[in-house]
This record gives sequence, structure tokens and C-alpha cells, in this order.
Amino acid sequence: MALQLKDKEAHQRLNYLYQAAHCVLAQNPKNVELARFYCFTQKTIARRLVLRQDPSVKRTLCKGCCTLLIPGVTATTRQRKKRKTSFTVVRCLSCGQTKTFQNNPDYRLWVERPEAQLELQEQAKGMISQNPLRCRSNSSIKVTPT
Amino acid sequence: STEALVRAPLPRELLKVLGPQSGSKAAAFTEAFLGSSLQRPGNHDLKNLLTHKAVILGYARPKKQKTKRSSKRAKGLTAQQKKALKVFQIRPEHQRYELFLPLHDLWRRYVLDLCAGLKPTCSPQFVQQKLLKADLHGAIITVVRSKCPSYVGQSGILLQEFKHVFKIITREDRLKVIPKRNSVFSVEVNGFVSHIYGSRFEQRASERSAKKFKVHGSIDL
Ligand SMILES: [Zn+2]
Repeated sequence: MALQLKDKEAHQRLNYLYQAAHCVLAQNPKNVELARFYCFTQKTIARRLVLRQDPSVKRTLCKGCCTLLIPGVTATTRQRKKRKTSFTVVRCLSCGQTKTFQNNPDYRLWVERPEAQLELQEQAKGMISQNPLRCRSNSSIKVTPT
Repeated sequence: STEALVRAPLPRELLKVLGPQSGSKAAAFTEAFLGSSLQRPGNHDLKNLLTHKAVILGYARPKKQKTKRSSKRAKGLTAQQKKALKVFQIRPEHQRYELFLPLHDLWRRYVLDLCAGLKPTCSPQFVQQKLLKADLHGAIITVVRSKCPSYVGQSGILLQEFKHVFKIITREDRLKVIPKRNSVFSVEVNGFVSHIYGSRFEQRASERSAKKFKVHGSIDL
């Protein structure tokens, strides 16, 4: 992106904290507490500076206790069916909070839709928007949610 | 034919990326995975339970916790639950220095990226400005000066930064809690040594990103 990010340092910091949480868990999968502390810090910074986190990041953080959700390590992933629709249910092993995603391969996030790109371009052209840009810098560790 | 494709061995060039993990990492993962997914035997201390049978008179059932929450209330733990879970406390068995070396490596790379390579030609002011807003978790910090002499010389990887204290892990695998007030810390990256005046740093790790620092003429401890 040619556009200069406004809060580049803050984005880098968020990115680092997210990676640090992964690094801690990769080294010692039982040290959930420290990973949780980093994710909690990441979340508070993002909230303080009003930076939006990418959905792929948000979907890997527990809403209850800020644990980094990694299937098999800190979370369980199960398939559930309700009537004809099937869901993926991710449950945090620390606090029991669940996340439910509908299994829909055709689902497109707002950023992935062509309208969003158009809007983003217009924003960049006019420079009228005060909205912070999406935090795409956080996706250097790619964790794809189902 | 699809099935045959699924069962085919991994291509040689992908084996490094997708193949089995190295020994220690895989073992750690397996152990944690089994620990979290195997059901704990509920009656393993049955014998103990039967020999020391306690008779409680006037027993009142513990109050049922309300599990159903209204949709308006935010998800998240209450302060009581957080206290019970010990959300951010690092357990003693995880306090091992070598487990956090990769974190330190990651931090080094982060700072290099942040300071645009951190060449020796960089001005110290530039590095200072960047470090002020940077994250310090994972850095190796040393207490240079302190009002309390026993803190001086303590050095280790910074694991957690709270409002008033740093929690560091030393080479001797000990978790030390060092108050920020009245201490000066030093951080070294690629030959640049920066000093942090703890008394000016008394805020939560997350608050520093938004804060604007003023230039002070003189700083005492
Ligand atoms: Zn949780």
C-alpha cells in the first residue's frame, strides 16, 4: 500500500504482541497466562487508539478472557448442526466461552468485497475520512479461520 | 483417484514446511494437547475420600451461579472470576529462562524493523523516540541505578509490564518483580544502550502508545 499508515508504530506494536503470544505458546503450550497477557495488552492498545483489528485476528482471540485460541492447544473446534445449517463452534478451554461461525464457503468479509475496495480508494483520494484504516499489518502471521 | 491423491506422500520440496515438527516442539504440543483433551479421572482420590469421610451438618447447597446472561451484557469475565482464574500469573513450572529466548529473538527483530534496520548511523534521538512507543515485552533489561541497592544489577527478559512493576525472568530461572519507581533501567539493542527512567514510566503497558511524552530538563531518580 502506497498510503502511509497513520499509526504505523502502533500497528507494528499490535503485530508484535500478537506474534509474541504465538511465540510463547509455540514454545510452551501450557503457558496460557503470558500469551493471554500479551493478547490483553494488544486488545487494550487497539481499543485506546481506535484501531480496528483484522477479522482473522479477532477470530483467534477469546472474547471472555483474551486467550489466543489455537485449536487443540487452547481451544476445541467442533462441528455442530442445527436444522440444515452447520456451524463451527470454537470453545475456549480456559473460560468456556464459545464462538460460532456458520460454515459458508461463499461468505465474504466486507474487506474482501469489491465495494469495500472502492470505498477505500475514495477515502484515500478525498482524504476526508477520519476513520482509521483497517489493521492489515497484523496479518503477517496467517491464521485462517474456518 | 482423489483418494489416491490424498494418500500420496508429501512432495519433497514441501516436506520442510509441512512435514513433522522438530522433536521438542512436537513433544510439548502433544503433552499439552493430551492434557487438555483427555478427561480427568473424576474419582482418582476415591480411596482418600472414603477413608476421611467428612460429615457436614447443616450443609447448604452452594448457590447456583447464573449461567444465562442477558444478551445486552458484554461477554467477559467478572473481576471475581479473573481472580479465581489467576489470569495473568505465570505459574512456577513455566518460569524457565530458556523458554523465553525465542521471545527475545522476536523482540530484537521487531525493534530492528521498527527502527528501520537500526544502522550505526542512526541518531540516538531517533532510536529513543521509537523505543518510547515500542513494546518492551521480550527485551533484556538491567537495573542500572536504584534507590534500593539490592535491585541494582538485576537483569533478565521482561515478561510482563504492569502499572508500577516490571516482571522479569533472570538467567537463574527466577521471576523477579521490580518496581519502576526510583529505578533506572537499561535496554541494549545492536550497540544502542537506552536508559529508561522508571519513575517516568509509571503507567500500564497499553497506555504508553497513546501518551505524549514531554521533554523534561532534569530527571532525578
Ligand atoms: Zn476464554
